Amino acid sequence: MTNYGLVIDQERCIGCQACAVSCKQENNVPMGQFWNRVLTEGGDKIDTPSGGYPEDGGSGSLDMEYQPTACQHCENAPCVKVCPVNATYTRDDGIVEIDYDKCIGCRYCMAACPYNARVFNWDEPEQMPEEGTGDVAARPQGVVEKCTFCSHRVDEGLDPACVVNCPADARIFGDLDDEGSTVSKYINEYETDQLLEDRGTDPKTHYISGEMSPGRPQTSDKMESELDDVSPWSDGTEDVPSEAGGSDSSGSGGSHHSIEGDADPHVPAVGSGGDD
Amino acid sequence: MTDDDGVYRRDVLKASGAAAALGLGGGEFFQTLVESGDGTGPSNRDSGIESYVGQNEVIQTVCSPNCRGKCPIDVHVRDGQVKKVEPHPPEDEQYKRACVLGLSHTQRVYDPTRLKYPMKRTDWSPDEPNPDGRGPDAAFERVSWDEALDLVADKMQSLKADFGPESVLFHVGFGNYGQSGTAFSRLASLFGSTQPASTIDTNVGRGFNRVTGTGFYLPSTNEAEDWENANTIIVWGSDLFSSQFQMDASEVLDAVENGAKLVVVDPVYTTTASKADLWLPVKPGKDVHLALAMMHTVFEDGTYDEQFLRQRTTGPALVRKDTGDLLKSSTVFDDGSDDQVVAVEQGSNTAVELEPETDGPYALFGEFTVDGIECETALTRLRDHVADYAPSEVAEQTGVDAENIRTAVRWLATRGPGGIAPSYALGRYKHGHIFGQTYAMLMGLTGDYGRHGNIHAHHSGGATLSTGGWSTPEDADPGPSVRFSDYPDAMIDGDPHKVRAVYSIESNMMGNQFPDRQRFREAIKSLEMFVVADMHHTDTVQHADIIFPVPHWFEQEDIVSSWGSHPHISYRHKVQEPMWEARDDYYAIRGLAERLGFGDYFPETKRELLRELASRDDAIDFETLSEQGTQKKQNIPIVKFTDAFPTDTGRIKMYDDDAPSEEGVTFDLPRPLEDRTADDYEKADEYPLMFMQKHSRFRIHSQYEMLNWVREVNPEPQLDIHPSDAKARGIEDGEYVRVYNDRGEMIVKAKYNEAFQPGLVNTDQGWWSRDYIAGHHNDLTHNEVSEVGQTMAFYDVRVEVEPAPDDVDTDKYEADNPRGAGADAPRAGGD
Repeated sequence: MTNYGLVIDQERCIGCQACAVSCKQENNVPMGQFWNRVLTEGGDKIDTPSGGYPEDGGSGSLDMEYQPTACQHCENAPCVKVCPVNATYTRDDGIVEIDYDKCIGCRYCMAACPYNARVFNWDEPEQMPEEGTGDVAARPQGVVEKCTFCSHRVDEGLDPACVVNCPADARIFGDLDDEGSTVSKYINEYETDQLLEDRGTDPKTHYISGEMSPGRPQTSDKMESELDDVSPWSDGTEDVPSEAGGSDSSGSGGSHHSIEGDADPHVPAVGSGGDD
Repeated sequence: MTDDDGVYRRDVLKASGAAAALGLGGGEFFQTLVESGDGTGPSNRDSGIESYVGQNEVIQTVCSPNCRGKCPIDVHVRDGQVKKVEPHPPEDEQYKRACVLGLSHTQRVYDPTRLKYPMKRTDWSPDEPNPDGRGPDAAFERVSWDEALDLVADKMQSLKADFGPESVLFHVGFGNYGQSGTAFSRLASLFGSTQPASTIDTNVGRGFNRVTGTGFYLPSTNEAEDWENANTIIVWGSDLFSSQFQMDASEVLDAVENGAKLVVVDPVYTTTASKADLWLPVKPGKDVHLALAMMHTVFEDGTYDEQFLRQRTTGPALVRKDTGDLLKSSTVFDDGSDDQVVAVEQGSNTAVELEPETDGPYALFGEFTVDGIECETALTRLRDHVADYAPSEVAEQTGVDAENIRTAVRWLATRGPGGIAPSYALGRYKHGHIFGQTYAMLMGLTGDYGRHGNIHAHHSGGATLSTGGWSTPEDADPGPSVRFSDYPDAMIDGDPHKVRAVYSIESNMMGNQFPDRQRFREAIKSLEMFVVADMHHTDTVQHADIIFPVPHWFEQEDIVSSWGSHPHISYRHKVQEPMWEARDDYYAIRGLAERLGFGDYFPETKRELLRELASRDDAIDFETLSEQGTQKKQNIPIVKFTDAFPTDTGRIKMYDDDAPSEEGVTFDLPRPLEDRTADDYEKADEYPLMFMQKHSRFRIHSQYEMLNWVREVNPEPQLDIHPSDAKARGIEDGEYVRVYNDRGEMIVKAKYNEAFQPGLVNTDQGWWSRDYIAGHHNDLTHNEVSEVGQTMAFYDVRVEVEPAPDDVDTDKYEADNPRGAGADAPRAGGD
């Protein structure tokens, strides 16, 4: 069976907000609402570190990391359990989705979600431009909405918008039940965390931190399963680490050219780069 | 929203939903529903989520502000409206990219700040300009394009007749990387108007140029695809994961993933610093000291690249002790040249001419007597010069731990290819050119030129369309140039000559991007005519007499140079026709050319212009470019600096006997010189805090200020301040503060931020006047430039901060509006 999941490499994430805004655009998310928030792990506010500025000229204790956070598409989704009208449900492919026509706006699911991933349209949703954006219809006032893993795209073989638009190649989407998929390989290869694991929700969003992965360079909006070659410029070499070659860092990242450090490449003369 | 049978799906589902909801509240109901959910839930395709996937018309075009991206993008249009933007992989698809700003054009294209119609300031006329009517309260009336162009052309002609064509300034910024600027310069050259000379961000490049013969803005560096080959990357004064390199962040991350060491030198703990292996928290203005300490370490460790120094630098060249000049070949050899310099061969002590790109057993260090002239090698001079800058000696002054200084440069010197990626920020200190000189020489010591994995700037060179001098026709008699920084003198005092009218395109500089804003505003008030063309109602537009409304990029066909970016030229296809009466800059330029008698010099349509310009670049084929949307320029080298350097000797200058000097300091060797960062600066006590205006990921200069999606994340200008500095002034986190110096003030919200060094405060740049409670960050900056660097020193500024007065009106950020100041409606939209 297909079981979709997402890997987010926090070592690669640069907090640029492209995923957050792409999500709003693609999913016609109303002003004032976010389905996908880029949280700062560090200080109290966005883009601030924890710790204190070093007083001794050393690197000190400052620390900052970004944690993009949206619906975690939990295997044991508390929101699904509490929904009194079956509006929130888990699809056969693992995506947790809301039937907005069934939603009665009781917001039990919001209380149940430990990730604060859901928003409620208290008012008539406002879009800018007002005709709306992206590729799904706007939701009405009085319903709860949230990340769908862009199920409308996934159904057409396309990656979620946040994945396609990540400039750091920090987001990888795919089938957790397919051992050959990049998400599965990364979850086997790296120490990945799920948020609030102790809640037993078993999220299908996994975070890498502590060691940087090669990412998955996107040169198409298609899902990995729709492509013949994961990395179109990888010259056919493996782009993701295999379990066998796991500890051999030179074996990963097939897109990286191997060039001797001291080689003096023969290339044409330097043009004046950009003085005009 | 109908199914095939015409029944409204929504109504059907609503009905069933209502029925299901009847049991709400029943004790057993929850369980029943949950248990039956799996079996009776909707299938994947019947969720009630209405999808439009596949229904969009997709047009490939390009985002082209003055940032590093120039990202090829796909624009999705449905029902006649732009619905979304996605990145489009260019011809070389590894350069696929886009950022949060480019992805948000969906909002920018329809933003209420868009200019709709040609406008005239109500109380302006060619003979009675009423300059005091300019500014925040100016009112405008709609005019026809013909009327607007007639007014401008007639005024230009009368000024030309009375005061000469140089009394008109054709000012062009960098806000639109199409070819309008080329046509604009052509008209300026034909008319004989004054043309601008950039004094923004040229400091570091000028210093680098003194050493290598290349560089004006930042020097060129290996193209982005090569960065992953670096083994050590020292990012210096650049938050490249937030600004400039953001779209190619993946390249640096790949290098790090491959094992490269990432060092960040910055007084701020930036996003980039948070990813670094080592962060050097340098004090503002002490970068040259730090780089000299790194040179000291390289000499002390003996880790300099001897072969590189002999083959590609003047390190072995002899310096005369009597004059300090380099010993010339013509002095030693009968057939020697005045350009070439002389070294001695190790052992035999024979004098030999140093040819470019030639290795030999040249002595790198030592004193020698040639033809009775006492000399020492250039490298000896440099080594002796940096002897005073041991890491332990500069640690306190620079604020950086000595061992960390050594570690950083040891990685650079011993781990194979790498480089230093400075930003323009270093050049935003008055004497920033010295840093350019210093790091160029440091990389000469470590031999980091001409190899894969070398890095010399925080963005690459990209590709520029070569238009073969089209902007200056052979029969034209171009007028003089005036530096940006000299505009006010020219406008107010007539120095070097009186500028009486300005026609400005692609620029929000007069209202926003230039420092010492009040002085520039005063200068504008001395004009008889100020014509501004723009997409949006900027601060600059608000000061105009005549407004030309320019369409959004999606409404202009153009060829985009990927300057500072990727090695492609891109075709900016129109996504839609210009809205309202907005017209391409070329429409106005050609319209004016006709009225000024130069109509024959300009092709009738933009398409013809683009064909003509593309035909001048041998690496580009118009049809291919237009069809593919991007064309990779095959003559752009991926690795730079592989041949003789364009210096007199063909070599990197490790000693400069022809160096400029300023304020009593000569730059034969890198010598630190500071302005307001100096510890003994005269007003340091009065204004104890250094003030910078960091580039953020949320704006490109003042472009994209209006994006509502972005403003939800980043709603208003703030002052980043270390809590210790804030508390010492009784300032609470989130409280509004007054930031001031002897030029002006601004009122913004204080943001406690441990990332900022005590003594340094920051407001991200790009905010417009309307975003501030009062004032503007450029009311605090000054317009003093160094003679050598000739670059506006935006960060070399001192301020003091205090709690804002109690009576300031902060309603615009407290009116439950998640988008903050977007609230202020534009005044000259045209409706």
